[in-house]
Amino acid sequence: MIFKTKLRATAAMLAMLAGGAAQAEVTVLGWPGGPEEAALRAVTEVYNAKADLAAENKVELLFTSREGFFDKLQVDLAAGSTAFDINLIATYSIGRYAPFMEPVTLSDQAGAVFGDTVLKTMQFNGAQYGVPTDLSLHFLYYRSDLIDALMADDAAKAKYSEIAMQYLGKAMEPKAPADWTWEDFVANALYFTQSINPDSPTRYGTVIQAKNLLFNMMVFHSWPRSYGGNWMDDSGAITVDSEAFRTALSQAKMLFDLGATPPDSTSYEYAEANAAYSSGQVAAMVQWNAAAGELTTAQAATGTTAPPAGPDGRYTHIHGLGLGLNKAAENKEGALAFLQWLSTEEAALAYAKAGGAPGLAAETAAKLAADRPDLVQVGEYASTYGFVMNGGTAEKALAVYEAQAKEFTGYWAGTQDLDTALKNAAASMAELLK
Amino acid sequence: MKQERSVENAVLAGPIVLFLLAILGFPTLLSLVYGFSETTFQTLTTPEFSGLKNFRDVTADPTFWQAAWFSLRFGAITAVLQCALGLALAVYLAPLVRRHGWTVAILIIPMIVAPAMMGLMYRLVLHEFAGPLPHYMYSWFGWSPSFLGPANVFKTLVVAETLQWTPFAFLLFLTAFQSIPDDLREAAAVDGTRPWRLFWKIELPLMMPTVFVALFIRFIDGFRVFDNIYTLVGAGPGGSTTSMSIYIYETFLRRGEIGKAMAAAILLFVSAFVILALAQRLMRRRTP
Amino acid sequence: MKPRLTLRWIVFAIAAFVMNFPVLATLVTAFKSSGEVSRNPSLWIEAPTLENFATVLTISDRLNVYHYLWNSLAAALIGSVLPMIVAFPMAWAMVRRGYGRAILFPLVVNLRALPLIIFAIPLYMMYATLGLLDTRLGLGLLLAIVNLPLALMLLVNAVAEIPVELEEAAHMDGARLPRLLFKVVLPLCRPALITTFVFGFITAWNEFLFGLMLTTREAVPMTVGASFFFATSGGGVQWGTASAVMVVAALPPLLLGLIMYRRITGSMVAGAVKG
Repeated sequence: MIFKTKLRATAAMLAMLAGGAAQAEVTVLGWPGGPEEAALRAVTEVYNAKADLAAENKVELLFTSREGFFDKLQVDLAAGSTAFDINLIATYSIGRYAPFMEPVTLSDQAGAVFGDTVLKTMQFNGAQYGVPTDLSLHFLYYRSDLIDALMADDAAKAKYSEIAMQYLGKAMEPKAPADWTWEDFVANALYFTQSINPDSPTRYGTVIQAKNLLFNMMVFHSWPRSYGGNWMDDSGAITVDSEAFRTALSQAKMLFDLGATPPDSTSYEYAEANAAYSSGQVAAMVQWNAAAGELTTAQAATGTTAPPAGPDGRYTHIHGLGLGLNKAAENKEGALAFLQWLSTEEAALAYAKAGGAPGLAAETAAKLAADRPDLVQVGEYASTYGFVMNGGTAEKALAVYEAQAKEFTGYWAGTQDLDTALKNAAASMAELLK
Repeated sequence: MKQERSVENAVLAGPIVLFLLAILGFPTLLSLVYGFSETTFQTLTTPEFSGLKNFRDVTADPTFWQAAWFSLRFGAITAVLQCALGLALAVYLAPLVRRHGWTVAILIIPMIVAPAMMGLMYRLVLHEFAGPLPHYMYSWFGWSPSFLGPANVFKTLVVAETLQWTPFAFLLFLTAFQSIPDDLREAAAVDGTRPWRLFWKIELPLMMPTVFVALFIRFIDGFRVFDNIYTLVGAGPGGSTTSMSIYIYETFLRRGEIGKAMAAAILLFVSAFVILALAQRLMRRRTP
Repeated sequence: MKPRLTLRWIVFAIAAFVMNFPVLATLVTAFKSSGEVSRNPSLWIEAPTLENFATVLTISDRLNVYHYLWNSLAAALIGSVLPMIVAFPMAWAMVRRGYGRAILFPLVVNLRALPLIIFAIPLYMMYATLGLLDTRLGLGLLLAIVNLPLALMLLVNAVAEIPVELEEAAHMDGARLPRLLFKVVLPLCRPALITTFVFGFITAWNEFLFGLMLTTREAVPMTVGASFFFATSGGGVQWGTASAVMVVAALPPLLLGLIMYRRITGSMVAGAVKG
């Protein structure tokens, strides 16, 4: 193709011209807003204060908008931007950005500091593409005051069994949330819904965030996973159209249909779900660990535990944020030095103390037990229940989440039936993961 | 004489043509190449020629047609609503505005707020537990509709868009209404024409060009709606609130199918071009 | 002769309240503390606070709202004035001579229907080459493209409404084309020019996606900068701060609308006296 060679020539010329003056510092593009930024600022200060650090390797931070962050990053990387040497990556987008990045070597301590499960969240095709900085997973948040009251009241317990019998076909007993299966979760949600149980102290039993948004699929995934669901099997065949996904999707659908989650849930994301829970009108929900502070402040009697279990066990979807190396970086050496340091225990501890949420191995987390007890819980859940779907770091993983978000929310909102949703999801995934 | 004219015409057209070429010339050329090639973010500089494949992919994609239908419907409904409301307000409030100019400033505030921010604020305003609207609905009527649930989301979006952009139509109509020469009205008043008749027989016909322009602009803006819907409800459950812009944006940046996104944009542009060119020819034939 | 205004005042009040309801809610939220936002959804503020505005207006090492405002102002001015300059002569040629009506008019006008963001990649490459990335000029030039269709449409409409006799009279006096355009047509288009400018400025001021894609540090506009203030971990939103940012961000275009509206009415009164 003639235009192909022409384009190549143009691109080369563009790249040359765009080069401009070499920057002395190492520029890091971080995740703006929130504790991740504060923590990154704190560790950068520690790093820059080191006496043996050459002036040209000092670290400078850059934050763009959180809204549209990954879209901008995509354009920047694809066009070979030299505005930053190190950039943020997330587990679900490593595959997408890997072609424009370079693998990195971490410090010798990394394995001990983070543990394998967490390091894996930053790997693609067997190569390490970044230092894990923050780990996100899900908790089951519940109103312990309401559950305690329910357990102490025989009449209420009878009502609970009756509702479970009526809607789930078996007379279930209320249980402590730490022992819940997803069926218990559903039964509890129904019991605490006023339209089903007029005596319920809350308007809704739960809130499922079901806006057509990839992050909402992450929250949902622990559900089908605990029934043995996965994106694909080891041979690469797409397994989304399975009993596991059917069960989880239709259990959730039941909550939508019976009004156990607010009717606007199909437009809810993180902020809306938190606002619903904070208002005191919701009894329990599965939500990101990052919400712990906000939710316990609003509802003091809030308990947290791992998401409910299924026949296959208890699971929580994990994904990490991390920092990796831009292929077009102008100061690769300085950048690599910073990334190596970030993977040391010194850096990880400083990062955690400054408010970050690194996923740490039990031994490292123990050193923080006094400052950050929540990280002990996160670290424990990540290593015990954490999972990444097969294909969860593939090149088009992000698009897979989005395809599922579109189809599954369509099913919940009633614009299509379960078979269509799963058929469409499977077709999109086969296309995206081939 | 004739030659002088064509030189003049070229000079008159020069600035806009040069400006367009300078900024959009290269992007258009490259986009056309992309439209006929298999292009992803990895192959930006080495697109593989693939003929009409992207166009076949787009036209075979049910989401594309769903988005086209959504945009057409949304554009048409909101344009009519905004222009009807804007016209009524402009004509009725004109005497008030003439005396108290500041009232206009109050009425055009909604369109000054960035649509993306407006979408964000509606997330709060309509929230069942934290939003003022459901709050007052519950405390006054003990009930509140599910504004953003599957059954009502389209209506809610139409109302939100209409509330924000009626001021646009209002301002256009107000300017047109006030530029109608007063002697025309005075003459009518002398003849004893009633206000309603004055409006239908004299004022509205004089404002017709502006009505068309306003309808057209509002239709295009409704058709290409993006920020406010995207922030408020995203692409909607099952993609039910995917407008044309959202479809192209997601295909382009989220799925990285650059060729397909370009093909969709080219289809959109060509069909809009043909429709507008035809409409113009029709209009010119009717008004010789 | 005084038209009765009472009923009109009522209609005005209702329209103003309904259309501005979300804005009103925003204004109220801006004065609530974050605790109160989640506790008290009503429009009554229990404990008014200025903390949200303080957050927005304080300069920190990363957040400088004045810098964003200045970037937006510069880019939006370029983005609203430039399209009028290039579109005005063309609009006249289209109306009076039918020149460019068949192709150029629909071509330009339909740009408005396109999500221009599809040009992001080639534009980015081109801007990198020309050194326009992350500059106010670069952003302004693109915003001018965004506004071009509207400017052309409104100016064509405006020229078409000028009685052709006025121009003919000037022509008889022997006025040459530039004189005719700038001394006769341009003043008559003044209300439309002001409307075009106001609409264009608002659109340019509120643009988000290109502001995001084409800037990183130096030329970040207000819309993009705004989101720096209210993002919290996990995709949460600090509603109070978000509201305060919105209020601050909406003030400049609001002020412009206010000043310019005076001008529109002023010019119309003048026109009425003359005519």
